[in-house]
Amino acid sequence: MKRGALGGLFLLLGLAGLAILVLLPMWLVASSSFKLPREIINRVPTYFPKSFTLQHYAKLLQTSDFPVYFLNSVLVSAISAFVTIVLATLAGYAFFRLVFPGRDFLYRLVMVAYAFPSIVILIPIYLMFAKVGLIDTRTALVIVNVTFALPFSIWMMRTFFASLPRELEEAASIDGASLLQTAVYVLIPLLSPGIASIAIFAFVSSWTEYMFASVLLLSDAKRTLPVGLAGIIGQYQIDWGLLLAGASLSVVPVVLFFAFVGRWFVSGLTEGAVK
Amino acid sequence: MPIKTARPIRRDSTWLAYLLLAPALGLLAATLVVPILSAINISVHDIRVIGSDGPFAGADNYLRVLADPVFWRALRTSVIWVVSNSVVQTALALAAALVLNQTFPGVRIARVWIILTWIIPTVVVVIIWRWLLSPSGGMINPLLIQLGMIDRPMGFFASGPLAMTSLVLVNSWRWFPFVAIMLLAALQRIPSDVYEAAAVDGANAFRRFTHITWPLIQPTMLVLGVMGTLLSFNVFDIIWLLTAGGPAEATQTLPVLIFQTAFKAYRMGDAAAMSVIASLLMIGLALVLLNTLAPKEAAR
Repeated sequence: MKRGALGGLFLLLGLAGLAILVLLPMWLVASSSFKLPREIINRVPTYFPKSFTLQHYAKLLQTSDFPVYFLNSVLVSAISAFVTIVLATLAGYAFFRLVFPGRDFLYRLVMVAYAFPSIVILIPIYLMFAKVGLIDTRTALVIVNVTFALPFSIWMMRTFFASLPRELEEAASIDGASLLQTAVYVLIPLLSPGIASIAIFAFVSSWTEYMFASVLLLSDAKRTLPVGLAGIIGQYQIDWGLLLAGASLSVVPVVLFFAFVGRWFVSGLTEGAVK
Repeated sequence: MPIKTARPIRRDSTWLAYLLLAPALGLLAATLVVPILSAINISVHDIRVIGSDGPFAGADNYLRVLADPVFWRALRTSVIWVVSNSVVQTALALAAALVLNQTFPGVRIARVWIILTWIIPTVVVVIIWRWLLSPSGGMINPLLIQLGMIDRPMGFFASGPLAMTSLVLVNSWRWFPFVAIMLLAALQRIPSDVYEAAAVDGANAFRRFTHITWPLIQPTMLVLGVMGTLLSFNVFDIIWLLTAGGPAEATQTLPVLIFQTAFKAYRMGDAAAMSVIASLLMIGLALVLLNTLAPKEAAR
């Protein structure tokens, strides 16, 4: 479709609006984290920093528990993502490749799981974990994160299995490959975009999770980033430089991760949405 | 034809399927099904000490909760929260999707990175907006003063309605790109020759939107609307970290009230009763929305 001059103007305005809405807040936070405290609270804000300092980062890394929170989050999110991948791929193969009694029923049941408000699960999970001694363990968080990432991940797997021709598996099995060999040499490599999508979804949702982490973890040494940062918000009389540096560093891993596999994630999201 | 449909399925596929599903379904049973049943059980017990089961209380918790004006106020706040979020997010997302549906240099990058606000941790969203909206040192107040819209810095979380508005805008900022990506997918399914034919027939851009785009994205809008209702009802962390339900409980939605009842007041029975009521409302609402609003041909 050709665009007229008016259409071009609208498009330009729309794009500028979107860029300002999404990117400007990020830019302000990231750039301000390098400003001297004086400039941060200056009555006339600067959109480009006039001063440069690493003092907020130094303070964050040396005198706060930020590095501990960061490592905990990396650990919890990476393990959650790994477990989610394994469970969702196995379940995906069963749901989208095999025929068995109860398939539709079980699939619907998994999808219905999303209708329940997560706050409903919070209280019983807390009481259950208290009974079996899982309170204040990072394992508890992994269990919870996988639970919440799993239904959506299985749903996303549907698109990726649908795009794989069955003939490939059949050819492999005619050539005498066992099921395991077919999985390792044929399925997993071809499913890698789907696996990457699940990885980023599970990683990001674990990286972000606040409610369960704030209730299930008690000791400071086990806290994840969201709970740790939330603690810093309330702890001092607000030290914006420190918080802006913390916010900037917390975004780095997900942005890096997304830079590599974001494309697949978005396509997994969109292709599933319209089917 | 029969050869095509009757795929050579491995003879042991039923066992294999259950074996492959066992870890995922086992986990979900233990962490979703059992807790949901357990929530119902807790809601009919009077639990005061963590770890003890407490005496059976029948419908007492439910009756107490339903007689409590605080519960009804939180329910009303939740309705306002869900409705305003849907309106703001849908409007923003539709505008963004229409922009991203055009072709321009860098469109592929824009279609992926639009989702940036959704992948960053909510606590970071909270820090960003607490700072930008702060009356001392924030960026928004000086900007509004420069533009002549206000005389002196205002507290965006200071009064009830204002705090609610700010929260809705912050939450929508986080979620609208996610909705936009889904809508974009629906837009891209519309074949471009439909638009070209309409243009040849003399339909202007506005009429093309109302007569082609809008009807064709309705099914996706419906699904997203139901999903969005459930997701925004659930939102806890943004509200908790920005206002903690204040000022004067003006932003105390049901999840916030349930959290406070369970983990600040330690009234687990009451909190569980409220959460069971909330689930029933949500599931009921989702079913009603899907059944009444769905165009007949869109029902899969």
